[in-house]
Amino acid sequence: MLARTAFRLFIILFVVFYAGIAFGQDVLQKYLNDTSLKVKATTDPSQKREILNESFEKMSKALDKVQRSPLVSKEDRAGINLLKASLQEKLDELAGLNGYERVSDEQLDSFSDYVVQDMEQADRTVTISLVTLLLIIIIVILLV
Amino acid sequence: MLLVGVGCLALALFLFSCSFISPAHRVTPLGEEGVFPPRYSIVCIIHGDGGYLYHDPRGNAYRADEETLAKAKTVAERNPQAEVFIFHEKRRKHFLLFFPLRDGKFYYYRHGRLLAEESYWRDQGQSRFDPEVELYQRFRAEARPQLVRLFLYFGHEIPEFGGAGYDASYSKRTFTIDDLAEGLKRITGDSTKFDLIVLSTCFSGTPHTIAALAPYGRYIIASPDNLHLSYFDLDPFEQLDVGLPAGDVSAFAKTFAQHAFNRLTENIQTAVTVAVYDVDRVQGFLHSVDSVYEQALTTLKGETPASIEHCDCAEEPAYILPGMSQGVDVFYRPPRFGRLKHKQSHSGWECWRFLK
Repeated sequence: MLARTAFRLFIILFVVFYAGIAFGQDVLQKYLNDTSLKVKATTDPSQKREILNESFEKMSKALDKVQRSPLVSKEDRAGINLLKASLQEKLDELAGLNGYERVSDEQLDSFSDYVVQDMEQADRTVTISLVTLLLIIIIVILLV
Repeated sequence: MLLVGVGCLALALFLFSCSFISPAHRVTPLGEEGVFPPRYSIVCIIHGDGGYLYHDPRGNAYRADEETLAKAKTVAERNPQAEVFIFHEKRRKHFLLFFPLRDGKFYYYRHGRLLAEESYWRDQGQSRFDPEVELYQRFRAEARPQLVRLFLYFGHEIPEFGGAGYDASYSKRTFTIDDLAEGLKRITGDSTKFDLIVLSTCFSGTPHTIAALAPYGRYIIASPDNLHLSYFDLDPFEQLDVGLPAGDVSAFAKTFAQHAFNRLTENIQTAVTVAVYDVDRVQGFLHSVDSVYEQALTTLKGETPASIEHCDCAEEPAYILPGMSQGVDVFYRPPRFGRLKHKQSHSGWECWRFLK
């Protein structure tokens, strides 16, 4: 099991370094897209909420861990903060906290699309270095 | 002996990589196409050196730049009265890890036929569109008085200041809206403006961006707010003889914007905002807010991205002026979720503010 995980990490490290920083962003987007597909695959609203919650929390945990790493620069910490804030807003809206209306059961599929699409805008993507993205990806993979 | 062998192999590979894609191979010489000057001239720049992955609601993955390139080629093939320049700015790649490959691809169509295809090196320093301007000058047809000129840009938000990191492959290279304006200035030269400029990017409907491009276009279509990577749909460009028969660019711009808006709102849950700017008619507003906006940009230059955000100019008192909506047609639908889901309208102008 450990050997297989290590091998996966090695391949990911190699591919990410070779393909460049955008690949790292792609992995995060793919992670959210997979979450959205899982949400749509189930009909039970409570399960949908659980999938979304779990996914956001895993990502949030990964970001927290990476942020504490000494390898992460001040600029990257600022970028991670933006990502964390965005994730927290989604968690709040899902649960109806901090002034948000709770996402209704009927809207959960659309909400999962919204989460994916919010990451796929033609704005200037949050600037996070390759090393930091790599750390986030590794931790997200280990948490899956 | 072994070292010499390895050296020779490396040299051979390097030379091979340099000539791997020949810099130019004209598919068809200018013949009959040269006799009939085109009625429409379209210049299309597609930025692809960054994170351009997106998914549809079924989870299928797409690359925004590749999708746009395919669509632009279709537009070129379906317009027998047009010349079309397509520049695809690609990520830097290496052959066998070490040998750099050209990072730009150019296509030239006239009368629906691909006449030239060429790989080229993009500017390696600050972007001034030198190679693109050179290719444009080399291939453009003799302009005729009724020529309708259209310019399209697809990419991430074009920075108004700073600009480092726009290209994933060149982290220190800078690119700002002023660089794009400089490129347009050199493409238009002494001739007339573009009739229509389409900016398929996020946050391009700002006073600074529209003012920077105003000298080079009569109408501008842009998204003042976020824009999903599926971009503005190019369908209305496919048959310009039908969609733009009498050269009424104003009507065409509004039809295009409405179509893009309808297409985006079908599947997108985030905000959709498409605005058409009549450049002559927005000059009054631009002059009124110029100093305020420029001052704001100067203040923001030293700030971290975490401390500033975009906002509708109508939410900032300094920009609420009587002529604000003059010359702007806005198609807006708020995001389905998030803090702004109840926002009912957008002024068509996007500004900056400090996060509270």
